[in-house]
Amino acid sequence: MTEAAVVVERLEKTLGKNKVLRGISFSAQPGEIFGLLGPNGAGKTTTLRIICTLLSPDSGRVEVLGFDTRTAPQEVRKRVGVVTADIGIYPRLSARENIAYFAQLSGVPDADLKRRVDAVIERLDVNSFADQRAESLSSGQKQKLAIARAIVHDPQVLMFDEPTSNLDVLASREVREFMVESKERGKCVIFSTHVMHDAERLCDRLAILHQGQVVASGSTAEVRGARRDLEDAFLELVGVK
Amino acid sequence: MRTAWIVYKKEITEILRDRRTLMAIGLAALATPIVLGVISQVATKTATQEYTIGYAGDVPTGLDGLLRATSLKLVPVSDPAAAAARQVDIGVAFKPGEIDEYYDPSRQSAQIADTRLRTVLGQYSAAQAAAALQQRGIDPGILTPVRIVAHPLSSPIQAASNAFLSFFLPYILITMILTGGFSAALDSSAGERERRTLESLLLTPAPRSRILLGKIGAITTISLVAAVAAIGSMFVALAQISLPRESGIGHFTLSPVAVPVMVWVAILIAVSFSAVTLALGTLAKTFRQGQAYVTPLYFITIFPASIILFIPDFNPSLAYYLIPILNAVLVLRDAIVHNAVEWPTLVVTSISLVATGALAWYAALRLFTREALLTRS
Repeated sequence: MTEAAVVVERLEKTLGKNKVLRGISFSAQPGEIFGLLGPNGAGKTTTLRIICTLLSPDSGRVEVLGFDTRTAPQEVRKRVGVVTADIGIYPRLSARENIAYFAQLSGVPDADLKRRVDAVIERLDVNSFADQRAESLSSGQKQKLAIARAIVHDPQVLMFDEPTSNLDVLASREVREFMVESKERGKCVIFSTHVMHDAERLCDRLAILHQGQVVASGSTAEVRGARRDLEDAFLELVGVK
Repeated sequence: MRTAWIVYKKEITEILRDRRTLMAIGLAALATPIVLGVISQVATKTATQEYTIGYAGDVPTGLDGLLRATSLKLVPVSDPAAAAARQVDIGVAFKPGEIDEYYDPSRQSAQIADTRLRTVLGQYSAAQAAAALQQRGIDPGILTPVRIVAHPLSSPIQAASNAFLSFFLPYILITMILTGGFSAALDSSAGERERRTLESLLLTPAPRSRILLGKIGAITTISLVAAVAAIGSMFVALAQISLPRESGIGHFTLSPVAVPVMVWVAILIAVSFSAVTLALGTLAKTFRQGQAYVTPLYFITIFPASIILFIPDFNPSLAYYLIPILNAVLVLRDAIVHNAVEWPTLVVTSISLVATGALAWYAALRLFTREALLTRS
């Protein structure tokens, strides 16, 4: 097995009076899609936010490509790209300007900026609306823009937090295809979702979170076991079935 | 500083595409001439308006002409006291050697008519006394045993103009700096949370202190543009309007000392306000909530400017110059009225405003790095 891109060990986190994470551990490899599954409130988003250094853990440890999130957060951020369901983009900037802004803030040198932005625009087929103001884009176009913004600095780790929850069928499929393509390029993709069907199709390995704990982990086939599908396994593991 | 410059350019681009901010600057440029135009109209109307005196009895010879010349119209009434209550501005009963005056001090028109009447009567009495003395071969000069010969050290008209500017200019400068950057500051802080761009921004490896510096720089720039637009239009308007001669105000010019002081103080205030509004905006989840947090600042800034209006000769100790905004108003007043800068006051003012800006920047940075900023939204 190759060296893990993301290592999460005994992660604990309390937000307000809620103990959101209760000792979560897992690791994700380069060239795989790792699924974080769980019902709402299971701790998926909090886990991702800790990995990308937006939150710090109360205890436990997270390493991204060998960099500790507590001691080297800047190095971690340089190597991580995040796409969420909340497509936050600057409405008065064009799609191209949005991408360029995040590229610059992510440390892409000025000499390389145009080439990198153009490459991402080409790769995600953003050309047709690249110079439109973001406020005039459709939801699918905005999500493409959010992905472009997240990958413009060519991060080794990509995290998708419920990326298709506000999208139509076509746009959702494009996002899924992009995740697979990223995996094939050797990126470590962490995919947080509560859509079991998507997880079963896309994930190489996964962890099921429930009430802040990992209740099952392993390859998708291992977690499914003898059950009919992943949904059945999930419902059984979280105690519904 | 590359990060700050990237954020600065992006913020300026967004602000220039934001109708709210552009409207605020446009209004800033338009509001001042409109206000000055109204002041000019009211002042001119007050100075030339005719007031009515309801009188009974015989008007002393020659007095009616003097009263007409000062726009006081005589109207015969049967009961001057009753007429003064509503029908006319003041009531007068002419008796031999005595004049009974009736007026309601709560009415402004009665106050103005009373002042004019007393002035006219004073001149009339002096002229009558002088004529009587001359008839008897006595020099009327004995009525004024001590004469005052005034030697003003500066032009009284310029002094009146400066006094007007010393109130109006700091007031316009401070309020326009605040309101000009108001929308931009909230859009740049609370707006980031509302649009959900904050998380993406904080995910970049860019240092948060530099991100804030870029934002403060952009807000400061827009605030100063609004202030320049407002003050520029103010001077254009002042050159166009005519105030009545009675106001004693002539043409408006800023002294060579006042201009650099104004520019320096404006920059300091703009930086401080930008940092303060950004910090308050960071506390808010939405633009509207941010408005509720920032609006009280507007009222706080009005009080120091009002001090100059109500206490024109307010000469505080150096310690007062530690109070932000008040110090800026006082330094500007000194530069405009006295055409001079007292270095200790300017130094204390600068230190105070820089410290205010730095504290607000630090507070904004602390708020910007709080986890609650993300988990609460």
